[in-house]
Amino acid sequence: MAIKRGVSLYSYQQEEWFGRMTWREMLKEVATNLDGATGIEIISEATIPHFPFPGEEFYQEWLFEMARWGLEAVTMDVFPDPLQFRRDHVMNDREQAERLKMELRIANKMGFKNLRILGTPISVVELALPLAEELDVRINQEIHAPATIRRPENIDDSNPYARANAGKIMDIAEYIQKTGTRHYGLHPDFGIFKKEPPKVYMDYYFRCAGEEHWEEESKETIERFRKCKTQNDEDELKEWAKKTYPKVFNNPANPFALEELNHSFVPPEDLKLIAPYIYVCHGKFMEMTEIEGMPGEYEDKAIDYDGAIAVLKEIGFEGYIDSEYEGQRNQQDRGLEFLPNEIEEVRRHHKMLKRLIGE
Amino acid sequence: MYDSFLVRSDSLSNFEENGKVAGFKFSVRIANYRGMFLSLHNGYYCEVDGVSYPRSAQRLEVNGKAPRSFEDLMNHAVLEHWDMQDEAFLYVYKDGGLAPGKHRVGILESSLGSYGTMPGMDEIVKNPPDPSEGGSGKTFNVCYYDLELQN
Repeated sequence: MAIKRGVSLYSYQQEEWFGRMTWREMLKEVATNLDGATGIEIISEATIPHFPFPGEEFYQEWLFEMARWGLEAVTMDVFPDPLQFRRDHVMNDREQAERLKMELRIANKMGFKNLRILGTPISVVELALPLAEELDVRINQEIHAPATIRRPENIDDSNPYARANAGKIMDIAEYIQKTGTRHYGLHPDFGIFKKEPPKVYMDYYFRCAGEEHWEEESKETIERFRKCKTQNDEDELKEWAKKTYPKVFNNPANPFALEELNHSFVPPEDLKLIAPYIYVCHGKFMEMTEIEGMPGEYEDKAIDYDGAIAVLKEIGFEGYIDSEYEGQRNQQDRGLEFLPNEIEEVRRHHKMLKRLIGE
Repeated sequence: MYDSFLVRSDSLSNFEENGKVAGFKFSVRIANYRGMFLSLHNGYYCEVDGVSYPRSAQRLEVNGKAPRSFEDLMNHAVLEHWDMQDEAFLYVYKDGGLAPGKHRVGILESSLGSYGTMPGMDEIVKNPPDPSEGGSGKTFNVCYYDLELQN
């Protein structure tokens, strides 16, 4: 057994949004052009027509197509939307659990073995666990940037998401250990192993701010980031960035640009702390570029894939890494001719995964 | 997301009510990678030729139903989903509609979907944010389109 390769259809979101590819065509692409990939992940609210009431015909077709291509339904990603009943209140735990249970039933009918959650608290999962056990569908907490695995020593007060989730991953690991449940797990997203600001993100933020020389300025910022060795260097870089490009890095409407200058990536070694509870991973990536001196081999310069996969191999992880391409959203502010090719990006990503897994 | 593509370039036209031109409308797509329950839709920041139009002047035509106010969607479209692939129309009330010719339309979708309970959600229930504050998190800037008014 070894690490298995899959694809989240999220990777083809742009093709779907423009109506250029159906989920059936995506399954075919994964099964025929990725040299042995077998896993499928979806976002329920993106792929399922007439969500959450798709009808029996859809389930039949889905099961037929998955069987036809020999694919395995790995994970379905779900959202709680606690403001769905905002006409009079924020969803309470019981209501959030009911929505989660609805998703568990849909996942089960489609053959999925895992759900992915993100901001749902333990108190809600606890209420849905009996059904998860009965249906044998596991609920996995995603570990998504800017979350860390360890309890952070300093909590970033400026980021409400980071504040609300500080320490949550270790709380869940302890809960799973204490209860011994096999139906609650963890789902690391490789975006936490960030090495540097993704180029496609930086370029976009400079373009959005109306910087005429965005290409050079974005490049300059990333090169400066690469020289940072300490927290002090980074603080200096941020000050420089805010002063030099205030429209980009000192814009309250877009806090994301400055966030990208945070090094704060998780050391892949931290995966060892939660090894028994990792069932699936998101192979998040922003842009696959050819490695210098290695024609036909690719890497994502912004994410430490080498380190993360080495640790996963060391701890004996045998689950799926599902490609999660996310570079498209920051290249949709110009004409159609500038849209990236999602199909090609995912193919390159799987070439890299194969190389690093050692298939 | 989809900054250049949220509004279809040939979709702007005036609409009539009771035999009079009551405003204008144009197509809108979801600025996200998933659909949404319509009760989460908080309207649009919408400006045309530099003039902004509040949420109270807006209606959304979606799922083959007559245009509905965002108040109506919040209160009654709790289980009704807007699928990601589907186009809707934003109706904006303006007596006499728009003059023939080119118009510069700017929009920012404000939708309140979320990964989980966040601090401040009780306040959002009491006082929904103005759509100019955004809220979808997937497109943070107003997106502009130069559109020719169709007949």
